[in-house]
Amino acid sequence: MKTTVEFSDRCRSVAGSAAVSVAKITLFAAISLLPFRVNAQSSGYSNYEELTAKLRMFADHHDDIARLVSSGKTLEGRDIWVMEIGTTSGVPQAERPALMVSANLEGNQLIGSEIALGLIHYLVDGYEEDEQIQLSLEKYVFYIFPRMNPDGAEKNFRAIQTGSETNSRPFDDDNDGRIDEDGPDDLDGNGIITVMRVLDPFGEYMIDPDDDRLMIKADAAKGETGAYSIYWEGLDDDNDGFYNEDPRGGVNLNRNFQHEYPYYKAGAGPHMVSENESRSIMDYVIAHRNIAMMLTFGAHDNLVNALNKKGELSQARPINLFDFADASLSGAREVGIFRAPQTRFFSRTPSQPETSDRPSGRRPATTVNESDQEYFKVVSEKYGEITGIETPPSTQKPAGAFFEYGYYQFGVPSFTTPGWGFSEKDVSEKTDSTGQDTTEKADSTGQDTTEKADSTGQDTTEKAAGKGKETENETVDQELVAYLDAQGIDGFVNWTAFDHPTLDNVEIGGFKPLEAVNPPAGSIEELIEKQGEFLLYLSSLFAEIKIARIDVTDHGGGIFRIKAEIENVGFLPTALAHGVTSRSVKPTMVQLGIDPENLVSGDAKTSFFQSLDGSGSRRKFEWIVKGKTGEKVELRVVSQKGGSDTAEVTLR
Amino acid sequence: MKQSAKHNLLLDRNHNTASHTTMKTFPLFVLFVTFVCFTAPTRPAFGQNGSDDHFKVKLDFNRWHDYDELKTDLLTLEKAWPDFLKYESLGTSYGGRDVMLMTINNPATGPEMSKAAMYIEANVHGNEIQGAEVSLYTSWYLMENYGKIDMITRLVDERVFYLLPSVNPDGRDWFMDGSGSGARTGHVPVDDDNDGLFDEDPPNDLNNNGVVDQIRKYVPGEGTHRISHDDPRIMERVPAGEKGDYILLGLEGIDDDGDGRINEDGPGGYDPNRNWAADWQPNYVQRGSMDYPFQLPTARAVNDFLMSHPNIAGVQSYHNSGGMLLRGPGAEWQGKYSREDIAVYDELGRNGERMLPYYRYIVIWSGLYTVHGGFIDWTNDGLGIVSFSNELWAGGQYYNSPDLIDQQTDSESPISGQKGRFFFDDFLEFGDQYVEWTEYEHPVYGTVEMGGWKKTRGRIPPRFMNEELSHRNMAFTLYNADQMPKIGIGETQVEKISGDVYRVRVDISNDRLIPTITGRAAANNVVRPDLLTATGPNMEIISAGRVTNKFKPGATELIDQNDLSRIMFRSGQPGNETRTIEYLLRGSGEVTFSYDSVKGGTAETTVTLR
Repeated sequence: MKTTVEFSDRCRSVAGSAAVSVAKITLFAAISLLPFRVNAQSSGYSNYEELTAKLRMFADHHDDIARLVSSGKTLEGRDIWVMEIGTTSGVPQAERPALMVSANLEGNQLIGSEIALGLIHYLVDGYEEDEQIQLSLEKYVFYIFPRMNPDGAEKNFRAIQTGSETNSRPFDDDNDGRIDEDGPDDLDGNGIITVMRVLDPFGEYMIDPDDDRLMIKADAAKGETGAYSIYWEGLDDDNDGFYNEDPRGGVNLNRNFQHEYPYYKAGAGPHMVSENESRSIMDYVIAHRNIAMMLTFGAHDNLVNALNKKGELSQARPINLFDFADASLSGAREVGIFRAPQTRFFSRTPSQPETSDRPSGRRPATTVNESDQEYFKVVSEKYGEITGIETPPSTQKPAGAFFEYGYYQFGVPSFTTPGWGFSEKDVSEKTDSTGQDTTEKADSTGQDTTEKADSTGQDTTEKAAGKGKETENETVDQELVAYLDAQGIDGFVNWTAFDHPTLDNVEIGGFKPLEAVNPPAGSIEELIEKQGEFLLYLSSLFAEIKIARIDVTDHGGGIFRIKAEIENVGFLPTALAHGVTSRSVKPTMVQLGIDPENLVSGDAKTSFFQSLDGSGSRRKFEWIVKGKTGEKVELRVVSQKGGSDTAEVTLR
Repeated sequence: MKQSAKHNLLLDRNHNTASHTTMKTFPLFVLFVTFVCFTAPTRPAFGQNGSDDHFKVKLDFNRWHDYDELKTDLLTLEKAWPDFLKYESLGTSYGGRDVMLMTINNPATGPEMSKAAMYIEANVHGNEIQGAEVSLYTSWYLMENYGKIDMITRLVDERVFYLLPSVNPDGRDWFMDGSGSGARTGHVPVDDDNDGLFDEDPPNDLNNNGVVDQIRKYVPGEGTHRISHDDPRIMERVPAGEKGDYILLGLEGIDDDGDGRINEDGPGGYDPNRNWAADWQPNYVQRGSMDYPFQLPTARAVNDFLMSHPNIAGVQSYHNSGGMLLRGPGAEWQGKYSREDIAVYDELGRNGERMLPYYRYIVIWSGLYTVHGGFIDWTNDGLGIVSFSNELWAGGQYYNSPDLIDQQTDSESPISGQKGRFFFDDFLEFGDQYVEWTEYEHPVYGTVEMGGWKKTRGRIPPRFMNEELSHRNMAFTLYNADQMPKIGIGETQVEKISGDVYRVRVDISNDRLIPTITGRAAANNVVRPDLLTATGPNMEIISAGRVTNKFKPGATELIDQNDLSRIMFRSGQPGNETRTIEYLLRGSGEVTFSYDSVKGGTAETTVTLR
């Protein structure tokens, strides 16, 4: 609490200072002076109290443009904050295109929270000086959720770091009738939960011959023999033969949404949108249909690696060591299955034929619509250009992920990324042999993005594989240790023998769970600078509907012809192809303010069109109406994702 | 005070309580039962009065009840049997009505959670009203006959019943008290026509006859329909290439919002039976599903209740119509049920067909149509409950003898095709269900005629046939309830092997059809495993195993679990089966074995090692 007060005071003085320069660069410098020094003594990342204090401060100091709203409460009573940022005069915020920024659905993805906080700061401070930001905040609105899983994040600020992704809902993960009874234990007392590797003739894993800190799965086809089992660090608290299979809390919010929901799988919760958090988020989203784009910071990526030609995400890149430890838990949900003897069941055929000629109906889309892919590609290219990130850190396979809901069900462009990542130079500073090479590469990346983007778009797997060969970093784990080594980050606990009460030949070690998915605090400022630029770029893409032209012709006898042209002056279409398919984006409405009985011919009083491309595409409308000379008629165009426009004509 | 009231009730009922249960988890109850047995006077239960027994509460089952009437009747029943019945509201609908719940539980035979419960709901679609009367009938019937009919007494004592006569009370009242149109939906507003306004242009009862009629317009030689030669009330489509004298202009209504269109945004606009969490699909795949499962306040209230009552082992959701006993899956891609589960459903369904003439037992997706996010898919897949949905009332019941069925196929017969509807209405309902076409000056369409069938014809039985419908469907649901799992511990054997080592065999039984955990429930891990615990002051477990056949020598299948004092049965106890579990124990004195099943109740036995 003390640090917060100090922070507010300092911030006030800087915000009020005339020394803040107009130039963006200086603005970033000003930001960097601010919040992220505050916790430098601790982790550099904000816990709930600190985050809340910062949000309150931003809202208090910029109450003309920023409004802090609680979208709901967690089980432990924390607020799921959203900062709504936009000017309050002019077009009502609910009618402007909105960009929703989300972070920290997974409790351990703390970097997303810091970036989101930084983006809020970037917008509210920038509003005073930066013309582009002013324009954005006048025309659009930003809904920024810096911490969607505050209970989960808070678990990672406790004395013992677990890297937990889940929220605080008590959940019987192994369905044994006991809830949260066997979580990890910090056996070696270093305050960090890592993994145990245990010599075991039944084990499936072996030490990586390329790096003896790492483990790989033995491949019998290559003549390799497994010698180790891998578990999360801890005891078998409930004596069921499994280690740490039911830790505190239970639902990973980024596995709790509706698209490709992983039914009844680990961390997915009892059903879709089962949690206070996910429900609050959904209720917020569906009450804000003006959300026209989403950006989510989390454990998935479609920005660094673009979609492939089929419209699929690139391969997920999980950290193997963590996956191996997770795999040791899977059997816990199978204990106690007793197969019924086959003879019990009569051989007679079930009476219900389970075949049918009926059409089995439409299936939900699982790849990005071909017509929408170009938009994703363009944005992905720009992301690479702005951030210089070439490889995301570890990523997961999305199932029930929020960003997927955004595109596949809400029907808007929805982007996601961990918010940080590696470029060649990050991982190779230590490696002398490639040093020269990578510098050159980094330069060319900045200069010639088209080339890079092409190769990215075409085949990301190939690119990753090719790069892997070059640097000999074949697995995510190898890449991660290389990065940690190169940056001098203390993110790996070396294996140390431990005298375990129920297992023999145990060594504890491996990646530190938070360092594996979050960059060092010192790099946050630089990340925010780039993400801020990217945010503004995104806000420049919205569809924007205008009445480009409206004319009246008098045909005599009180009969008039009204002709209008509607134009989308923005970049994105008023609805993506999938927004139309999914019926989630409303058609644009064109309504002439005239009594239906005075409409003589032509278009209907209320017309709709599904979508209008951007970059100046137009549509024509024409009505023949009855009226009096001098009478005024209003034309209204309302696009859910592209704003609205009105025009008035006088009949004459 | 309460105890003595309960006691008196049992005395009045004069039933044989000794046949109840002897579950040792309720020793107090056992004492109480013993007391009743010794003190109850022996009077013949019924059949001695010369006439049928009088009912304690008189209710109507030959008419339709709106929400207020249903609630009043439920409260009347609760007042008559306060020890057994409990009325409460699970939550509030969008329109501010109770989601009514009646619980039937005999507290003398244990608290709710200790007994398997049958959940019975109805009327999730607002226009499918008769399920409420079936539910009301069920509450009434069980109470009136408790203590009179042994099987009813046993059912009420062994089981718990949760009855929700209308889970869409807004839709119900819209149907009952309003014009009856578009009542399938609930009443959370939805902008059907994308104009930013919600529910602003519903159909209207323009001529105030209490019915939203069809509109037809006389357009000689330009129409699509004509009046039938068979009966002037029948409108028939003209064959291709011909012209009729009438066109149909949809439902009675006007352009309420002045947007140039008629009736384009009525109340609600979704399907409350597509808002459930198994195979839920977005609107473009499954129309009317809303934005996410349990978004609707009524669905959420019901699901909160279901999830906090894991003792529910049977579900019945009454719909109409078509005469069906439906089971899941609702969509092919959800995959077939396991052989074990199918066997259970088939047994229940086949017997159901025998109890319900003109009803067919079918799988939703293959026999009806594909449904995503339907209620009974959620209860079966997500909650592990054997679930049926009866589609109440079949058109075949209008003319149900073989001869009449045959006659209907003869086009000359007065009961063939559409004529049959009018024949039935004329001769059995005295014309009550039909509204004659009458002229009306419509603001947009000009001179039109309005008329046609009333809302209560077609999907709802003729009133006079509803009591039979209620009873037969109740009987099927009670049969389902009776077949819910019930755990018992049978014989035990203690055999000394050597020194202080003993072999103990315990028989675990479930003498009903439904397993304690279905195949789906086990596969999805949605029901807590059954637990067999062994406790004793001086006892160590050497091994435990399942005896393949206790009457023949052979191998014992050892149970590979770390903690044998608490054995998990994740796949539960199958129906109609007794399993023998064998322990090798070292020690002495008493050992208590306790089997605890979420849906099958608990049972316990104690042996002595000697």
